[in-house]
Amino acid sequence: MNTHAKPTPDSTLRRFWLKWRFHINVLLLLVPLGFMPKYFADAALFRGDTGLGEREIGDVQVGPWSLRLAELRNEAPTLDGPAGHMKNFTAALCDRCRDQVKATYLRIGKPRSLRAAGVIFFGTPHRMGAMLPIPEKTKADAELWITMEGWDGAMHQAALPLNQASPATVAWLNQQGGKP
Amino acid sequence: MSKKSRSKLWFLVHSWLALPIWFFVLIVCVTGTLAVISQEIVWLANPQMRASQPSDDAPLLSYDQIIAAIKRAEPDTLVESISRPDESHFALDVSVSYPDGRSVTVYVDPYSGVIQGTAPAFDFKAFTRALHGWWLVPFTNGYSWGWYLVSFLSLPLLASLVTGLVVYKKFWKGFFRPTLRIRHGARIFWGDFHRLSGIWSIWFIAVISITSTWFLIQAFMFDNQVSISTAPVALVVPRESVPVTSDGSPAPTISLETAIAQAKERIPGLEDSFVSLPANAYSYLSVGGRSWYPLMYQTADINPYTGDVAATRLLSDRTGLELVTESMRPLHTGDFGGIWIKLIWFFFGLILSMMVLSGLLIWTKRTALATANALKRSNKHARLQTTTEVSQ
Repeated sequence: MNTHAKPTPDSTLRRFWLKWRFHINVLLLLVPLGFMPKYFADAALFRGDTGLGEREIGDVQVGPWSLRLAELRNEAPTLDGPAGHMKNFTAALCDRCRDQVKATYLRIGKPRSLRAAGVIFFGTPHRMGAMLPIPEKTKADAELWITMEGWDGAMHQAALPLNQASPATVAWLNQQGGKP
Repeated sequence: MSKKSRSKLWFLVHSWLALPIWFFVLIVCVTGTLAVISQEIVWLANPQMRASQPSDDAPLLSYDQIIAAIKRAEPDTLVESISRPDESHFALDVSVSYPDGRSVTVYVDPYSGVIQGTAPAFDFKAFTRALHGWWLVPFTNGYSWGWYLVSFLSLPLLASLVTGLVVYKKFWKGFFRPTLRIRHGARIFWGDFHRLSGIWSIWFIAVISITSTWFLIQAFMFDNQVSISTAPVALVVPRESVPVTSDGSPAPTISLETAIAQAKERIPGLEDSFVSLPANAYSYLSVGGRSWYPLMYQTADINPYTGDVAATRLLSDRTGLELVTESMRPLHTGDFGGIWIKLIWFFFGLILSMMVLSGLLIWTKRTALATANALKRSNKHARLQTTTEVSQ
């Protein structure tokens, strides 16, 4: 055990280290600086300054009504703890149907009844959102079903292929390689 | 270990707690200090956010009158919620959505219902809070790692408080004999400053470090699916109680005043500092505000078609543990008693930021020497030992 006789190479590197070691943490500031563009992009996305979402799916005719549908984020479903993988969609009702539609729902696969129409949209007819659970075993050729319910009790449905509604989700499902 | 060398050790621990991360701690303190009064800073910068009573007897408009005024001015703008800031010189914050799909906050005069302006795209309040709270690291699955990074600082902060009081012998004497020597050089000045502001900030540092330790625990519990909440899961209006209309137009809903009156009848003392309109045909209208206990909100969910109070979340519904944990956030931010409390928090936030800086200055002037000396001593000690071992 020889602690004292350690030769101290008085190299520039060591001097530099001794001088600056407690200031290296200034570099931690790079973290918020790096995330700043994403922070402002997200703020604009949630305010709706950049449209309904990152990827507009387009107008979908549902019986006599129609809605403009978008993926909030153009990316694969995100894991939401024990609730599983979720995908956010946003929508806006057509001007004419704003006062006629009571509720709008989303579901993967055709609903058996209005009571099983899927997740409901929250928000105003100008901008509403729904968080759709995407089971990992969803087939890539599945369909996204939109159900709209009128104040008079009418019900109208429309479906669009998942690869049209969200190519990123289909890519993710294919990557899962058909998990059981 | 002798008493002297033990206190020397405590001193070294105290010095090293914040030193390697001093800049990070400083920025977190400064952004936190700014976040306390961020709302007021925006108020100063943005006249659209201000409101003043036109005359001494001018009444505040009811929430129904506010919605009617917005509808008259902008028929296509839809109101999502209205909230009345604590301080009366603030305009109402109204969340609205526009036909172009934007969802923003507008400032509305509470006396006239005039829409004074839209909240700017750069939200200073949200930005300083995000920078202070999670270092801008996005939340993906559960809490962001930035949240952990910042709230982890609560531990060195708490340890600094404890070790600081241990090394500052008879610190209570400092209350009676405050010392701040200005004419004895920078080292003495910053040392006096550090000790003086330290003892007067004991309560503040304790509050901040304990509440932020809770934020760390809270994130950890959430990410591990541990819940202590007794709050009911969000309810939906039962299908049967949502009317079907023969002409296909939206079913009539009760006025906000009726809803508030219903809620107040059920919950005496309920304040109506915000109303959230139903987010769809099957969701409830909520009314809420503070009551006698300034740290917590009470809310009521009301059926918008019948006016029935469907659910409430009151002080008395909370368990003792929830009363403690839910008080943590207002205690941390100083947002529970108006501008004066905020200014006290702001002042002590500045002092705490200065303590980080003064600590650094003291270190650069003294601790470097102390550490070098301590190392030299232990080397000598080791050398002595080696010699004795060899000679034996």
